[in-house]
Amino acid sequence: MIELIEKIEGEAKLNFSFAGEEIDFVDIEFMTARNIEKILEGKSALDALVINPRVCGICGHAHLIATVKALEDCYENIEISKKAEIIRELTLTFELIQNHFKWFYLTMRPLFGKKQEVLKATYPTQLMAKAIAVFGGQYPHTSYAIVGGVVCDITEIDIIKIKHYIEETIKFFETNLVQADTKDFLVCDNVDKVLKKNGDLPDILREIKKKKYLDHGKSYDRFIAFGENSYFTKGKSHKTITTHNISIDYVKEQDNLNSLAKNVTYKDKYYEVGPLARAMINKVPLVKDSHRRYGDNIFSRIIARVCEIPQLLNHSKELLEKLDLSEPSYIEPNIDISQINASGESAVEAARGSLIHKVELENGIIKNYEIITPTQWNLGNGTRENLGVSQQAMVGLKDVKTAELVFKTFDVCSVCTTH
Amino acid sequence: MLWLSSIACNGNTHSFLNYPFMEQFLNDFEFIYHPVIDSNYSLKEIVSETIACDIMLIEGTISDDFKRADVLVVDIIKKYAKIVKKIVTVGTCATFGGIFKESDYENATGLHFDRNKPIDSFKNLLDKTISVSGCPVHPETLVNTLYAIKKSVDLQLDNFLRPKEFYAYTVHNGCTRNEYFEYKVDNHKYGELEGCMFYDHGCQAPFTHASCNKTLWNEVNSKTRAGMPCVGCTEPTFPKENLFNTKKNMGIPQDLPIGVGKRTYLTLAGITKAFTIDRLEKKLFDD
Repeated sequence: MIELIEKIEGEAKLNFSFAGEEIDFVDIEFMTARNIEKILEGKSALDALVINPRVCGICGHAHLIATVKALEDCYENIEISKKAEIIRELTLTFELIQNHFKWFYLTMRPLFGKKQEVLKATYPTQLMAKAIAVFGGQYPHTSYAIVGGVVCDITEIDIIKIKHYIEETIKFFETNLVQADTKDFLVCDNVDKVLKKNGDLPDILREIKKKKYLDHGKSYDRFIAFGENSYFTKGKSHKTITTHNISIDYVKEQDNLNSLAKNVTYKDKYYEVGPLARAMINKVPLVKDSHRRYGDNIFSRIIARVCEIPQLLNHSKELLEKLDLSEPSYIEPNIDISQINASGESAVEAARGSLIHKVELENGIIKNYEIITPTQWNLGNGTRENLGVSQQAMVGLKDVKTAELVFKTFDVCSVCTTH
Repeated sequence: MLWLSSIACNGNTHSFLNYPFMEQFLNDFEFIYHPVIDSNYSLKEIVSETIACDIMLIEGTISDDFKRADVLVVDIIKKYAKIVKKIVTVGTCATFGGIFKESDYENATGLHFDRNKPIDSFKNLLDKTISVSGCPVHPETLVNTLYAIKKSVDLQLDNFLRPKEFYAYTVHNGCTRNEYFEYKVDNHKYGELEGCMFYDHGCQAPFTHASCNKTLWNEVNSKTRAGMPCVGCTEPTFPKENLFNTKKNMGIPQDLPIGVGKRTYLTLAGITKAFTIDRLEKKLFDD
């Protein structure tokens, strides 16, 4: 049975196969690809800063930050000021937050039979987009991060503005998502406490329990995160065992016979990436509690993603405090990029998980560019013998509608998956 | 309205979601289909039936072999073009081909233009079309154009079917760095509030038609105000190559401000070079 899945930044086809009453295999097909990697070949290195945000309209900023870091990795020595690093991390964080709101209000809640509340999605995302725009000039599709730093010079007045956007977003979260003080919520380590609260998140979580969906969406319980910054830790986790010694060298991308999306594995195994993976590796108390009770199911996936919002808002306030405006925003690299013959790679945490960029430069011209997106990790189309992460999560379910819900808890982005 | 997405990154869709008065907009307009916002019809129904609507919005590069829900996008466009009153090409891809013109799809172009060259394929729809270019389109440009259509305002269009209301300006208009441009203070360094980016950093603001510095992005800023060169994303030439460098012939920028000839430019440059304006030579906040 083939289902067309739409409103996923494009579309995909899920071909369900049943054994008796249960789904025993799902073939995931992405039908369109734009070949951005090929478009980049032969172009000047810095042009990638303009082209790559256009991989995706919803997480283009993560692609910009991954691009600039991959290009900087081509240098033997390059100096980036602490100020520029913090500013880049802030804008990336704001993008994650706006993605989480959009996913929850535009995609998730309607799947539980609730009316789509566009304004609840757009109000906080607009605040976060404004905060990015103060630094980057606009959102989406800025290229304000350049090799050597960022283009903006900000003042104390800008910081006041940004603080207000953050505070207003926190207020929105506390009024709508979970009616509680964010500070209490950040140290909460008990799912039951969240379930007793009012708000759009507990509402959905209670619904999952009521509908007996708690065994839905379990996959391999295997998580990975490559993008390290002042908040996220690099590492992998299987059940409750976490290690931090991982390397991009073991990441493999493979062509897919049935779909235009390439599969991605780490040491030949499929791993889940995204907020749940990050929380497992960062050992976030509330998410650990959810995982201990229910495992890597849709409940844990939703709570992990929504609860990342106050964590990141709080962290961005701390980051703002650390900004030293007397530092330079940009330090001109000692070698012009047109003289660079080298390769570089980067990994950042995007809203949906680890995003990897690899570039090869010859006299500053792009010879080769490779992008591995979070959705490739989660939505890989494995075989019956070796199922991908979301396939594993859908197998065993009894109807396609519930399977679609499980599939969308991974936040499918068609344009990113095929890019 | 029908929002049809062709070969795109959905940047225009998400830019549109930043429209500040979304509540009013959604009270005044209804989507029969939108790639993100819930609507009464599924994509399957949109392509298999013909649902009544007044405006078709097209996002993304158009190609002969690109499909949505197994139906060629060109066929969907042809079908709805017959019943709608207006067609809006949203963004640079749908207008001129944009970045995804370079993807592998066959005959990838905008609806009426292949870069700046007019094409014949949808010539019969020229009278119906309004183009709002930009990568992405500015949400206010898009929404206000839609209100103008709803009110039957006779919008004046430029040669690329863009409303002059938004595209008669250049990005240069309203840029906070204008004085540096006027007096040829070209010592721009990234990460600073001072200096013009036209002379060395590839800024295309003086010859790019858009209102980025008149109607600010996200209501707060613009790329050039922040210190990023304009990449000319509203123009048929987007994306040019070597975007962060100014191409020059014998020291003169290859692309000059609209309406300025090379000789005039040289004369002007000679005069402005004679000025040494202390205020523009030092940092803005210095004593």
